[in-house]
Amino acid sequence: MPTSATSNHPSRPEDLIGRLNSAHTPYEAKLKALRDLKNQIIGNRTKKLAFLKLGAVPSVVSILSSAAAAQGGGGDNREFYESVLIQSAAVIGSFACGLDAGVKAVLDAGAFPLLLSLISHLNEKVADAGARSLKLIYQSKRAPKYEFLQEKNMEFLLSLLNSKNENVTGLGANIITHSCQTTAEQQALSEAGVIKRLVGLLGGSINQKDASLESLAAMVKENPEVSAKFMGPENGRALNVVIELMKDKHPRTRLLACMCLISIRNTSTSYLQDSGIKNSLVSVLLELLDDPGPVGDEAPFVLSSLITEKEDMQKIAFNANLIEKLCEHLNAGSYQAKRLQGIFLLLGDLCSKLECCRDRVLDLQVLNFVTEALAHDSAEVRTAACNFLKNVSRSVKNLSAGQFMNEAVAVPLVRLLCDSSSSVQIAALGAISNIVVDFMAHKSVLVQCGGVKQLVQLSKSMESAIRVNAVWALRNLTFLVSYRCKEEILLELTSATLISLINDPEPSVQGQALALVRNLVDGTLNSINYVFGEDGAVLHAIARQLRSTSKVEVQIQGMYTLSNVASGNELHKEAVMNQLLPQAGNDAEKTLVKFLQSTDSRLCTATLWALINLTFPGSPGTCRRVTELRNAGIITQLKNMINDHCLDVKLRARMALGQLMIFGSVWTWYTSIKV
Amino acid sequence: MPVRVVEPSSPSQVAGTTQGNTLPQPCSLLSVGQAFSGTQNVSSLQKDEAWRVNVRIQGCDLDHGYLCGTMEALNVPMADTPVVTFWEGEIVDTKNYTFFTGKWGATAEDDIKHWTKFPSFSPLLSQVEVDGGKSLDLSNYPYIFMRWKEQYFVNVGTDCGLTIAGFYYVCFSCSDGSINGFYYDPNSSPFQKLELKSTNDGKSGFSFSSYELQ
Repeated sequence: MPTSATSNHPSRPEDLIGRLNSAHTPYEAKLKALRDLKNQIIGNRTKKLAFLKLGAVPSVVSILSSAAAAQGGGGDNREFYESVLIQSAAVIGSFACGLDAGVKAVLDAGAFPLLLSLISHLNEKVADAGARSLKLIYQSKRAPKYEFLQEKNMEFLLSLLNSKNENVTGLGANIITHSCQTTAEQQALSEAGVIKRLVGLLGGSINQKDASLESLAAMVKENPEVSAKFMGPENGRALNVVIELMKDKHPRTRLLACMCLISIRNTSTSYLQDSGIKNSLVSVLLELLDDPGPVGDEAPFVLSSLITEKEDMQKIAFNANLIEKLCEHLNAGSYQAKRLQGIFLLLGDLCSKLECCRDRVLDLQVLNFVTEALAHDSAEVRTAACNFLKNVSRSVKNLSAGQFMNEAVAVPLVRLLCDSSSSVQIAALGAISNIVVDFMAHKSVLVQCGGVKQLVQLSKSMESAIRVNAVWALRNLTFLVSYRCKEEILLELTSATLISLINDPEPSVQGQALALVRNLVDGTLNSINYVFGEDGAVLHAIARQLRSTSKVEVQIQGMYTLSNVASGNELHKEAVMNQLLPQAGNDAEKTLVKFLQSTDSRLCTATLWALINLTFPGSPGTCRRVTELRNAGIITQLKNMINDHCLDVKLRARMALGQLMIFGSVWTWYTSIKV
Repeated sequence: MPVRVVEPSSPSQVAGTTQGNTLPQPCSLLSVGQAFSGTQNVSSLQKDEAWRVNVRIQGCDLDHGYLCGTMEALNVPMADTPVVTFWEGEIVDTKNYTFFTGKWGATAEDDIKHWTKFPSFSPLLSQVEVDGGKSLDLSNYPYIFMRWKEQYFVNVGTDCGLTIAGFYYVCFSCSDGSINGFYYDPNSSPFQKLELKSTNDGKSGFSFSSYELQ
């Protein structure tokens, strides 16, 4: 009969767990089993998962718990129990290292408070093992949030930061990085003197430097007050120390120093604005992009926080050949999701404002990589690729050249409209909204690949962010689109959907829906008839919304829509007139005057164009409409506007008044003859 | 009740600064989607030789003094089809751009020579001669001065025998949407005149479409 217990070969997982769990296993054997387990799972994800499945974590936590209780009782076996504590803490830490499922199992098994209690252990090795294990747990987002605002917790944190043990101080810093999220927490930490302590750690070991830089970044992030404190005299030359750390020999330290400086920089327009530091940050981060490991994966995100929304920084990055570098990375072949996400994130940032960046990106044929990225397994990569497309297509010059509206771009984007992640759907809608502003008559590409059908579907989504973006895309698609394309769009959209979008509870959807109709009725006379189907139901809906809304953006779009309708024939003008000045009641009349009196020049202008179109010379009914408008008191209103501070309002008011006066004179003459 | 019309809107000098830093106000007739049509006299001497021209505004960014669009020349002698070009415009807003071109082979003298062809420029001349118009506030002036530079051919190749080497000095009237321009290219006949009017596709009124980039 074979004997397994004495074998020197690694135990089978089941046997190992059996030994850990068995009440009959002596503690010495359990200690050995813990060591075996630790050796088997270190750095081995597969093994970790296998042991997790077998319930190893609760077993180890249970041993940790009983060893803690037993050694508390004193006795001769103190040293032995401490070894058990050290080994079980190490095993727990190993399970939590780089594996979210491991962290979950550790937390579920109740290891966290046990590990915390080890920190205050008299034996430094035990405290160290507890701190190491907790540090690994705090690298995960799943780690429990630490409540700094409780006084006891703050005291404990300070005791960690004041410890002489490197892992314990590191743990303190990691807790801050993980849990410091609100302004109040940043403030509380700052007031408790944490900055000074962290600055002190900048002179410590690599681990301490890194942990300190990361937590300093978390403390100053978007908090000008804490940032000012860091920059204040009480922290001496702290800033210079961080700046120096940008040149550290360890890539991770360089990255974290940049992250910390960017956090400070982003809190005020007066910090770290000199060209020397700007260029240094860009060049250090650019170099770190080449790091093959996690530093290289994170560098794009740090660089993004430096350049996003900042045209001057984007220009510096452009001049430092960031686009070329990112292209080299793309050309080098497949990357893990995070790296690819970072690359497209940066390309998107660069193309958000500067035309030179968009041109360079297109010259270097980055679009060739987009199709694949749009179909990537990772939702984050798909979103980043969509955002990049959205930003690169902000170029009217390239839209005019028809650069984007082709099957390689449109087809995968349309496919993403059915994505399971709504943030991907919204990002895809953003990109589609821009690329459909195509001036090369390629808009039909989107219709042909089923894009309109999908957009119409999404315009009925329960999620308002999806609805507004879908209608936005349809609105841009209908801008200067051919009559045939309009027919296809409306066939899919239907008047009923259009009306429900005009009446949507969200004003942003209402505004986009009205802008869509405004584009639909622009162009040929036939187009105007779109709002006259079904007894003019769409026109009624527009007018009703105009009367009821208080949102100026909605009013502007609604008024331009009516104005476009009024640029048509007599029938069209009469219909608009009836909506603006109905026979019964005077609510609409008040609306017209109210709009002319608006403090928003754009609304005044839109209303004036409607009046200009209604009184356009040459139409048979113009004379009658002029009379009705005069009776409604419009002339007085217009006279108040002819010296308006806004040039457009002033000129349009004069134009409208001119038309009204011509016909007015004729009418006066006509009535005087009649008399 | 008659109201006195305050005439004319005149450019003012910006007090206490050396920079006229108020941008032109948006003008609905110069917004995206607006179309214009008219002619370009190819020779300043032979009035008969004129190409029919259509222009469409495609992009407008007043903050950056930027305008762009397409220009379609209809009866170009050497071309079988209408020739469409894409152009980008610099709005003389005295913040992003002054009346002095400073590139494209145009000297300050060339600039003055061309701008003075527009009657609406005369009230500005003396100041422009001093500083290119930097200290002028044109935000309420009913004319917008621009330079339009064609960037590429949209529908024909560069071998079409036509050139887009030059650029246009342009004056837009905010009142009626009319556009006058002069083509400048040291290698082409001087002062080719562009005359455009706002069009409405034969409808009885003005129509405005719009798009908004995200």
